[in-house]
Amino acid sequence: GLKTLHLGSCVITTNLQEMRNGFSEIRDSVQAKDEIIDTRILRKTESLQDTKPTDQCCLLRHVLRLYLDRVFKNFKTPDHRILRKTSSLANSFLTVKKELRLCHAHMTCPCGEEATEKYSQILSHFEELTPQAAAVKALGELDILLQWMEEM
Amino acid sequence: DGVAILPAPQNLSVHSTNMKHLLMWSPVVVPGEIIHYFVEYQGEYESLYMSHIWIPSSWGSPTEDPECDITDDITATVPYNLRVRASLGSQTSAWSTLQHPFNRNSTILTPPVMEVTKDGFHLVIKLEDLGPQFEFLVAYWRREPGAKEHVKVVRSRGIPVHLETMEPGVPYCVKVQTLVKAIGRHSPFSQVECVRVQGETLPL
Repeated sequence: GLKTLHLGSCVITTNLQEMRNGFSEIRDSVQAKDEIIDTRILRKTESLQDTKPTDQCCLLRHVLRLYLDRVFKNFKTPDHRILRKTSSLANSFLTVKKELRLCHAHMTCPCGEEATEKYSQILSHFEELTPQAAAVKALGELDILLQWMEEM
Repeated sequence: DGVAILPAPQNLSVHSTNMKHLLMWSPVVVPGEIIHYFVEYQGEYESLYMSHIWIPSSWGSPTEDPECDITDDITATVPYNLRVRASLGSQTSAWSTLQHPFNRNSTILTPPVMEVTKDGFHLVIKLEDLGPQFEFLVAYWRREPGAKEHVKVVRSRGIPVHLETMEPGVPYCVKVQTLVKAIGRHSPFSQVECVRVQGETLPL
């Protein structure tokens, strides 16, 4: 069923299980494409859990935007099965982002210093890599992001 | 060069019931020939961020029938664009695109097939398996003045569920509706079905 995410005073519902199921079917294929194994984009120090509640919504909104703008878009694959699964994930992320945008519109998704700082850290890890390599690595780390969301 | 000689498929429409989505169109007819169709889709993400990207359908690329089960393609609650083209050897038609994007939240929801039975004094219900996205809200009550209606959300699919231990001689009634949280909707209630245990006294 649906999972309710409590992000400070922003509360949304999302189909995390459907996303997990979809990602689990392509995880090995995607992670196998990631040749840079000595670094990570989504690190524990910048996780949602380690962020104070009032900043969690903003951090997640920025991370989702990163995935929508620069991960799903730059991930290329000739494999139609993987293409369908990444499309499914991208469209599900779009649904979550719409819900977060509602929170933003209702002033329940403020961006404090902590969210801004942590997102810039994530972005700097991301931008250490080429766009293509960053997209592959970030997509391979989707289970980390889903786990962060699971624990909200 | 054989492009767009074939007429494009017409009258595209999606028939969606209980989260099963079928894209249909009028067949392209060339006497004595077998036409193949290719179905592609793009979700709202693709149309917003990469509008040139179209994804071959899981089951409709290619297909010989003028229909394609797109259930496995429509996996998020966003509008999807769909298109079809016909192919015969090296000849390929133009694409025909569904006039209005399809969103799974428009699916028609019907109550499940319901089997209400007695197992001794136990009121038992068995519901049709409609898939993992479905839950069922079961309402049941004693048919007598002032009786209270009980409600139970059932997630088990196709497995008998015990509702209540019945008192002999009193009719017990049941109705059910489907719930699909992924789209935040539910079906109307089913017909009411009642059963009664004959008037034996309850065993001590």
